[in-house]
Amino acid sequence: MSGYVSGLLILVGINIIAVLGVSILTGFTRLFSFGNAGFMAIGAYTAGILSSRFGVPFIPALIAGALMAGLISLALGKLTLGLKGDYFLIATLGFGESLRVLIENIEITGGARGLANIPPRTTLLVVWVSVVIAIIGAWNFLHSKYGRNLMAIREQEMAADAVGIDTAKFKTLAFMISAIYAGWAGGLFSHYYTFISPISFALSKSAELTITVVVGGLGSLTGSIIATILLTLLPELLRAASVYRMLFYGIAVVLIVTLRPNGLLGYREFSWEWIKRLIAPKSGSSIEKGDAS
Amino acid sequence: MTAVLEIEELSKSFGGVQAICNFSLCVEPRRIYGLIGPNGAGKTTIFNTITGIYQPTEGTIKFEGRDITGSKPYQVAQLGVGRTFQNIRLFTNLSVLDNVYIACHMDADYGLLETMLRLPKFRRTEQHLKDKAMSLLELVGLQDEADAIAGSLPYGHQRKLEIARSLALNPRLVLLDEPAAGMNAEESTELVAFIRALYEKFDLTILMIEHHMDVVMKLCQEIAVLDFGRKIAQGTPAEIKATPCVIEAYLGGEMPC
Amino acid sequence: MSVQLLIQQLINGVSIGGVYALMATGYALIYSLLGFSNWAHGDVAMVGAYIGILTLTTGAVPFWVAVIIAILGAGLVSILNERLAYRRIRNNNSPTMFLMIAAMGLSVTLQNAILVIVGPKFKTYPQIVPVKAVALGEIKIGTLDLLSLAIAAVALVALTFLINRTKFGLAVKAAASDMQVASLLGINVDKYIGLVFGLAGCLAGVAGVLLGMKYTVYPQMGNVALKAFIASVFGGLGSVPGAIVGALAIGVMEVLVSGYVHAGMRDLFTFSLLVAILLVRPRGLFGKNVEEKA
Repeated sequence: MSGYVSGLLILVGINIIAVLGVSILTGFTRLFSFGNAGFMAIGAYTAGILSSRFGVPFIPALIAGALMAGLISLALGKLTLGLKGDYFLIATLGFGESLRVLIENIEITGGARGLANIPPRTTLLVVWVSVVIAIIGAWNFLHSKYGRNLMAIREQEMAADAVGIDTAKFKTLAFMISAIYAGWAGGLFSHYYTFISPISFALSKSAELTITVVVGGLGSLTGSIIATILLTLLPELLRAASVYRMLFYGIAVVLIVTLRPNGLLGYREFSWEWIKRLIAPKSGSSIEKGDAS
Repeated sequence: MTAVLEIEELSKSFGGVQAICNFSLCVEPRRIYGLIGPNGAGKTTIFNTITGIYQPTEGTIKFEGRDITGSKPYQVAQLGVGRTFQNIRLFTNLSVLDNVYIACHMDADYGLLETMLRLPKFRRTEQHLKDKAMSLLELVGLQDEADAIAGSLPYGHQRKLEIARSLALNPRLVLLDEPAAGMNAEESTELVAFIRALYEKFDLTILMIEHHMDVVMKLCQEIAVLDFGRKIAQGTPAEIKATPCVIEAYLGGEMPC
Repeated sequence: MSVQLLIQQLINGVSIGGVYALMATGYALIYSLLGFSNWAHGDVAMVGAYIGILTLTTGAVPFWVAVIIAILGAGLVSILNERLAYRRIRNNNSPTMFLMIAAMGLSVTLQNAILVIVGPKFKTYPQIVPVKAVALGEIKIGTLDLLSLAIAAVALVALTFLINRTKFGLAVKAAASDMQVASLLGINVDKYIGLVFGLAGCLAGVAGVLLGMKYTVYPQMGNVALKAFIASVFGGLGSVPGAIVGALAIGVMEVLVSGYVHAGMRDLFTFSLLVAILLVRPRGLFGKNVEEKA
């Protein structure tokens, strides 16, 4: 496999992990965040600094990065999850940008010049094992009381309260998971590119994560995965000048959101039922489902 | 016999507007209470204060002897208070089954580890929850529509679903906010029978806001009347029907109690 | 530090604050009507700046005509954004958040469209305004800053008059308060939304031209709208007077931090301010607290 192709697959894998986290947060709990790139940055820098400056081995560094992101999300969540939707979004945006400016101004992160000499440890194997674990984790989580409670909050928060769901706790849980996923992805990112700078984790990256979830369809893990693959690969395949690429990206986003608001697979999920229905004719109803809704 | 719900001198104001003033009510177990009054009298505000959506400005609320004033909504629900909403609040994009299934979460005593690894305890509990949800649906006659999207049900069925969902918590007290809203005479009669059946089956205590007088008179054993945030009368249906100030409150007039 | 320097700084701050205010009021108007933060607004200002400069380079029209064209052009772009994208999303009953996502898409589209059509090189407005500073006593103020301040002041006063003293303003306030009721009362809500977008766009156009004249014109210059956005949050989302106050405050505070603390801390300060507002008083100075009815 050529270096170019494997590099592409690694990028896709890293993006999938970050997007899955945002999918749980936004698609299933309807909390919109423009700060998840900040959690990627935390994971990337923590893992990167630990392995390049302190010689910490790869996997423990990754874990530390993800945990750090999780911890910070816990604190941030305590402060901001009580705010109404719009304001929560603004708070996450403020967090992401403040973090970026902070990184630019501290010594240990290399400031605006970036952090270099991170050992290249991310391989295709590590990434895709991570992706598989991430998908299974997300799937199992969502198809349980945890996921259902999040969906209840998404659909009708007041009613979720009325059936005894501690909405604050579950929102925090969703936020933390999205941060841990982002942090893990960030760690993989920094050990692949071996050099990171605050620009890599700017507002546009956070927006990109959210947009990917919307394009894939809210409430659909399958959709999020497919959208990530498409949105990561398509610009690479259409190797036209990057300006045209971004132009089409912008137009595409506007088109999807105005013309097909449910995205690719809104609320629908891959399930064995689907495949069966495709192959065999319908034969009465069955209650068994692998659906998310 | 401890009252199921004891509201004492409850007051709630929003800025300068006094929505409830010195409201007191003692709800005895296994009875159906009605809360009536003209629009804007503060009935839903009382519900919202009981369930913790609003904090009272003054007064206390006790559920089964335990002070719940100022508790959070989910805490009140977990203690055993179920409720429905004036504007039906179902989990619209989810299935009928899921709406009730979700509400059964209190019985789901597995943790994250069992969830992630899909341990047997998880599978057993999930099946148990599903069975419980289905049996609740059967109770309200919606079992055939378990897979339908909740938002696609006809209005009357949505109401039934909301009531079924509120029962999933094994509540001892159920607050129904205008269950007969938008129903015609035939549907209302069916609703009365429906509520009475649930009341008997589950030994419920019910507090109901309602505008359909026939529903109120047929179901409720005790009625409290609210006007401009104050209780102006309380008694049996026969007593209330005969109280002049109640009639005046609905028609507009000066007669005090 | 000397008093003169302080006053100079303050005037600079108010001047830049005035430009922020031109954009922040646009944000506030749009938020009050549609309940979302229009990320594309800064790029509307940018497009205005470009239209101005491109018109000027043709040499066919005098300066002030080019400026008018720039302002109207920005207004038009803003109206188009609404008609083509936001209106559709509203009609689909999609979540409000989709409006923001569409705004981000529009922002990317506008920036890159300019990049494609015009190219990445920075452009500058010709020196119409003398560079020499005006002296008021011992205080020296850049002529452009003074002019900018004056123009912003006039525009904002006109806007306030428009909103508070005209039928148009009344209709907009009604629609902002309750769109359904307003339309029941016979107000053509869609039309007014379009007009408000046009108005906000024109104000943004003024801001774009002023910024272009003071600094340079480049495709990413719309990002300064983030400051205007923070100003709007500070003043209270949806509140026009709040936006003005917030913008002036931020302009002044930024200049003071830049001058007296450390130039690099300016952005950190502004973002920390945002975080602080959200933690202490999310609805800002004049914003409203809206509770959901059960």
